[in-house]
Amino acid sequence: MRSVTVELEGVRFGYGAVPILNDVRLELHEGEFTVLAGANGSGKTTLLRLCLGLLRPDAGTIRVLGGSPTDLDVRRRIGYAPQGLRVATSLPVSVTEVVGAGLTPLKGLFHRMGRRDWTMVTAAIDAVGLGDLSAECLFELSGGQQQRVILARALVGQPELLLLDEPTTGIDRRLRPVLVRELRRRADLGACVVAVSHDPDEFHEAGERILVIVDGCVRQITHEQFHHQFHDHRSDDHGNHDHGRDR
Amino acid sequence: MSRLFVEFAIRSYVAGAAVGIAAPMIGCFLVQRRLSLIGDAVGHLAFAGVAIGVAAGLAPLWGALVIAVAGAVALEWLRVKGRLAGDLSLAIVLYLGLAVGLVALSARGGLNASALGVLFGSIFTITWLDVAAITVLCLLVVGTIALFYKELVAVALDEETARASGLPVDGLNVVLIVLTALLVVAGMRVVGLLLVAALLVIPVAAGSRVSHSFRGSVFAAAAAGLLSTIVGLVVALAQGQVTPGGAIVLTAAVAFAVAAIVGRRAARRHPRPA
Repeated sequence: MRSVTVELEGVRFGYGAVPILNDVRLELHEGEFTVLAGANGSGKTTLLRLCLGLLRPDAGTIRVLGGSPTDLDVRRRIGYAPQGLRVATSLPVSVTEVVGAGLTPLKGLFHRMGRRDWTMVTAAIDAVGLGDLSAECLFELSGGQQQRVILARALVGQPELLLLDEPTTGIDRRLRPVLVRELRRRADLGACVVAVSHDPDEFHEAGERILVIVDGCVRQITHEQFHHQFHDHRSDDHGNHDHGRDR
Repeated sequence: MSRLFVEFAIRSYVAGAAVGIAAPMIGCFLVQRRLSLIGDAVGHLAFAGVAIGVAAGLAPLWGALVIAVAGAVALEWLRVKGRLAGDLSLAIVLYLGLAVGLVALSARGGLNASALGVLFGSIFTITWLDVAAITVLCLLVVGTIALFYKELVAVALDEETARASGLPVDGLNVVLIVLTALLVVAGMRVVGLLLVAALLVIPVAAGSRVSHSFRGSVFAAAAAGLLSTIVGLVVALAQGQVTPGGAIVLTAAVAFAVAAIVGRRAARRHPRPA
């Protein structure tokens, strides 16, 4: 019996008067790979941000790794890759520095990074196929390479819960299966992996659950049902070339 | 030439070097977070602190220290609450500090050469006690940066992800802003409150042109800051009439121009992989 990693009970959330999530009940377990799908603005990113404690629900309760998502000790056990590059761009930053920042919360105050920590950083950079570029400046890499660096930062601390917002956006199609296999490996090692995606097909081999948000509610469906029910949404997305940030 | 090695010159080199190294080190974190103007706002608040301190019969340093630290924490609180969006609020705080300082000083007839010294620096008149106070403040800034370096870097790179991964971001932000206030007060006698923010920014811009990492930028910026203060002081001493604060900042600007050219040539010689 797998233990529960994330538990949402009657969660309601809206931006001002606009309701986004309505009475969401959900359990995610250790060792489970979940793909969170839905149309633009359906609330996928909002759901991740609620699980991270970056947003507070209007109603209901959220428990993550047995505690509150605002608890710093709980947050240190989560790996998060946000949608797109959020790294400040005023000064140059090396790939190693960005990925190393993912280990900082685990080290604790006053503890310096040791040789073992840098080995973990190197392993995470290698896992996303950027071993040759570890000393390079982040802003001199392509968009897809930058996205892989952000993914490596989420992976480096070997977190118990991985929350990934569009983790394969901008990444070369031939490289995506390699990264998906790495995420599946993390799930096999016991991590609870949640990947937001417009295209659950990318995770077909790895993802054992597809959750879709429709009208503020979360439902579990199969790949076939996704294609059948959401084909119109996806066509509409592509037709409108809507690449804006999701909610 | 002999003026370059007299005692007041040596005192100015020591104090200038301390501020020249510490200011860009903290400036790297401010610039990365697009808070370059914070140094200016805190500098103007410190001027109000000097005036209030004088009115209360305190030493200017203590008045500046109290008001700069309290004002800096208040600025951070306003920023967190989203009431400091854009540069309008910062500009209001900046001019308010200057106006309070001018009114408080002029009301007591204190708007004289020593007030100009606070605004534009008076490094050649500092005592060894001043040098000790400036050095202690700068050591405090550099030591705290070294202690919290990895945490400050993580927040400077991506505040939201740092918060989501369990770092005490609000506390670290307060540490950064208090260090900025300490540095501004340390730089008050060296380049003056109107120019101290330049040392937080211009050497950082120079250092970032010749580096490929944040750590490299911090060291290069500190080197540029040290070089600028020493060369600026030497120029001011040798010429005899030039204000040292202005000479230091102009030297930093030249260092930035040189770094920009060197950085561009290096990039052409060693193109990065696509």
